[in-house]
Formats: sequence, structure tokens, C-alpha cells
Amino acid sequence: MQRPGTPRAKARRTGTGGRGALPLLLGPSVVLIAVFVIAPAGYGIYLALTDTQLTGFAARDPHFVGLENFRNLLGSEDFLASLGRTGEFVLWSAIIGQTVLGMLAALLLRQKWLRGKGLFGTLVLLPMVVPEVVASLTWASVLSSNGDGTLNRLLSLFGSGAAAPLQDSPMVSVVVINVWRGIAFAMIMFQAALEDVPDELIEAARMDGANALQVFRHVTLPLIRGPVFLYLLLTTITTVGVFGLVYFLTQGGPGQRTELTSIYIFQHAFRDSQIGLGSAASVILLVLLMLLGLTYARLAKVEV
Amino acid sequence: MAATTTVEREHERQHDPGVAAAPARPRGRRPAWLVLQRAVQYALMVLLALFCVVPFAWVALTAVDADGGSTVQVPAFSLGNFVRFFTDGDTPRLFLNSVVVSFAATALNLACGVFGAYALSRYRFRGRTTFMFAILLIRVIPPPATIVALYLLMVKLQLDDSYLGLILAEAAAALPITLWLLKGTIDAVPYELEEAAWLDGCTRFGAIRRVVLPLVGPGLGAAAILTFMAVWGDFLTPLVLLQSPDLYPLSIGMFRAFTAFNQVDWGVLAASALVYMAPPALLYIFLRRHLMRSSIGGALKG
Repeated sequence: MQRPGTPRAKARRTGTGGRGALPLLLGPSVVLIAVFVIAPAGYGIYLALTDTQLTGFAARDPHFVGLENFRNLLGSEDFLASLGRTGEFVLWSAIIGQTVLGMLAALLLRQKWLRGKGLFGTLVLLPMVVPEVVASLTWASVLSSNGDGTLNRLLSLFGSGAAAPLQDSPMVSVVVINVWRGIAFAMIMFQAALEDVPDELIEAARMDGANALQVFRHVTLPLIRGPVFLYLLLTTITTVGVFGLVYFLTQGGPGQRTELTSIYIFQHAFRDSQIGLGSAASVILLVLLMLLGLTYARLAKVEV
Repeated sequence: MAATTTVEREHERQHDPGVAAAPARPRGRRPAWLVLQRAVQYALMVLLALFCVVPFAWVALTAVDADGGSTVQVPAFSLGNFVRFFTDGDTPRLFLNSVVVSFAATALNLACGVFGAYALSRYRFRGRTTFMFAILLIRVIPPPATIVALYLLMVKLQLDDSYLGLILAEAAAALPITLWLLKGTIDAVPYELEEAAWLDGCTRFGAIRRVVLPLVGPGLGAAAILTFMAVWGDFLTPLVLLQSPDLYPLSIGMFRAFTAFNQVDWGVLAASALVYMAPPALLYIFLRRHLMRSSIGGALKG
């Protein structure tokens, strides 16, 4: 187990003094990850090929059904619609909303003359650091269809009537909530990237007559392309995985109008007890994410 | 500031050839233009900050309101909601469950992580790089995509609906990030220090404890906080793994309370939200700079 006094020369030469301790050191980590992270992923692929159910006959005696779950899913309008909603959710909230507002926040924090940046940074951070259940709960009161809801009070200031956003435009609501939650992450990533852009370069461009927008488009953006793509990759992954934020508020409803693929998987596997089908949907989601990741990495020429 | 003004000056000159010849003239105009530009940026900052904090108004106001409702109103100030949160009904139990699971999972995660990261940092063995990349790749898997199989696996292992199962699953889920973070920290500790300790008669584990651990404090702290916050805030894993209300953490308890539409105690719910968000929010605000540095690269949003 322990090797007191491992000869120093040997340790130096091979860089592996006391090799016997290796399984003891790394073992627990490997076992934990293998059993609770890797095994479920592999088991999920197996389950996707069976008709396993939570209850009933198929629960005790599941059959191998080949690719039938996949055939069913790809022919199912519900599932394809949930994929479409996830795509919409990622596009509007992560790729457009969070990126634009996060970039804006990062650029504001770069202004030397701006006062109150510390407070601003802290306030922007708040939506990201609270648990997702709290995040959803805060918005429940903002979007309340009640005339006293925060949004409705704001609307009435502009003379507009009461709205019920979670019922009338649920998708827009959850997109806005996810943008709100994700601004800080984008801001942090872009802030770090912008630090590497030399001030002199921007000043030089301004002297050549470029306006702020042109400077951003032709000088700043090309220089931070790598980090921006890395951010888009990360935010896409996390946004596809968003579950609690939406489920807490809408449980996929009204109807199925906010049923993202993550919620589709949960509902089918646990509410309808179709484990096989839910697993197949998970596998499809994973394959899509892998493809997306490779595409992004390619486009950004990031070494992964 | 002086530099910016010069730039603006140059910028204006380019647009208006007449200005270059008469530098005195635009002096009256420029401040107005600059003031407007800055005012717009201040306005943007204030709007963005308001967008981020206004949703919290309800939680903050209702938590201290003796008869709070589902929407924002002027509170009849009282701390009764917090008293009831810590004494009445299910909420003390929810709070305790959250604390137990989060602390236990973080402790397990760190215990495995420190030694695992030490091995990854100090040993050169076959499959080491593959392992590092494999656990990096795990980040690509969204939790909802493996939750179904994880649940069935836990049922098979008879670990569903138990503290132990949840703690193991949560500790494992955060382990890849901990390993990467700590490996980087341990890499920065000079190997010579350990060798010196061995020469002085320390065992390998003794040297880890006496030499390496004291030097990786900040990295360890960052890993601990990130893991704690991930477990503390998790909703999906306990939702799927736990069936007994006795074991529910705050996230699930609040969800059940919120969806019991006809009889929601809004005051206590808001107080729960405030208590529930306080640890991560305070940790972040006080350790922001430190955490930012350790967690750039996406560790914190997972």
C-alpha cells in the first residue's frame, strides 16, 4: 500500500514513485464515475433497444425490440415537435438572447469611465447563482396572470391591458426566463475574452474613422472568435439540458407548448412509464448534441 | 478618460473636415454628444441591472410580509414566515435534507477528487490522457439524457429513494469538474517539495497530507463551493430518485408546495426561496473574483 522511502532516484527517473498507491488514489473516483455516470449512459443505450416499462408485464420481462423505439420516435409528431421546440429554445434564448445581452454587459464593464460596475456585475450574477427552483418561482410572480403581477403592473403603466404570458405565449416566457438566467455566464466568458483585445487596436480603428459598431464588427469580434464559439458550444449544451427551470413553471404545458425534449423524456419515461421510449429519445438527443459539438468545434477551429 | 476624449476628437475630425481647421468650434458641441453617448450607456446598464433584479422583488417582499400573496405588494413587515419556516410543518425537514445531502456529497466528492487528481497529476500511466478527455466529454451529456437509465440502475442497486443513492449520484456527477480543477492546482505544487518530505521520512500519503493539501487550499475551496452549489440547487436528480416526502430536499419541497395550487402558503414559500438561495448567492458575492478565475471554461453553469 504505502511505500515509505521510495528511492528518490527511481522516482525521479520514471516519474512514478510508489506505483502501488495508484489504484488506491484513483480507484474511488474511477468507480464512482464508472457506476453513476458512464454505466447509466451505456445502460440507456441498451434500454432504448427494449420495451422496458416501469409497471406492468414489460416491467418484469422486457423484450429486445431492436430499433422500434427509434422508428416510433422519428415518426412521432410529438417527439419531432419537442425537438423543434428545443431548437427554438436554444436559438432564441442561448444563441441570440444570452449572447447579445451578455456581450452588451461585458462591453459596458470595459468602459473605464462607467461608475457602479461592481454593483452591476453582482446584480447580473444573481439570476445565475440562485437555484433553478428559485429562479422559476421569482418569474411565477412576474408573469402572474393576476392584475397585480409585476409584468401586468408594468404594462398598465403603458396603458396596456392585463396579459397572461404563461398561458398565451408560454414559449416566449420561458425563453425570456432562460435569457435572464444566462446573461451572467455569457458576460463572464466575454469579459475574459475581451481582456485579450488590446486597447491600442481599438483606438487605432477609431482614429481611422470607424464608428463603435464597425470597430466591434471588424476589430473586436474577429479577435474573440474562438472564445465566442466555445461559449456558444457550452451554452448550447447546457440549454439543451435545461429541465427544472421550465418544468417547475409549466410542466411542459399549457398543452404541450413548452414541452422541450428534456421534458418529453421525463414525461414519457416517468409519467407514462415508457422507459424504452424515453431512453431512445435520450440517445437521439445525445447524438444530436455530439454532432453539434463537432460542428461548432470545426467552425471555430478550436482544439477539443 | 483623457485617452477616450482624444479618440472621440479624432473620430469627429474624420467625419467633418471643417472641424480640423477650426478646433475651437466643436468644443461646445462635443460634450453634449459625449454626454448623450454616455447617458445611453448608463441607461443600458441600469435597464439590464433592473431586468436582472426586478424578478426578485416578490421573493424579498413576500418573505417579510405577514399576509403575502402570489404577487408583489407592500409588505406588512414581520419575520413570522422565517419563524414558521424553521419551526412548522415540513420545511425544517426539507432544509435539513438539503444540508445533509449537499454536505455529504461535497465531502465524498472532495475526498475522491483530491486523491484522484493527485494521481492524475503525479503519475504517468497508460490511459491517463484518455481518462482526462473522457471525463471532459461527460460535460457534453445533459442530465435529462441519462436520468432515465440512472433511475433504473438505482432501482436495481436498491439505492433509489435513499439518502445514500442521491449522495453517491450527486458526488459522481460533480467529480469530473473537481478532478480537472484539482489536477490543475496540484500540477502547480512543485514535485521537489514532496520529494524533500519523503527524504525526511514521510510516506506518500503523509506527504500528500502535510505538503500538498496545505498548498492547494484555494483550489480545494473552489471545488468544494462549485460542488456544493451544484448539489444544493439540483432539482432533476432528487425529483426522479426520491419518492418519500421525508427525504425531499428544499427544491422538491418547494416544487410540491408551489404546484399545490389551492393551498399555497405564499409567505412561507417566499421565505423558503430566500433561505434556499442565500448560501449560493452569498458564497458567490463574497468569493466572486476567486471563483471566476477557477471556474472559467464552464464549470459553474453545469
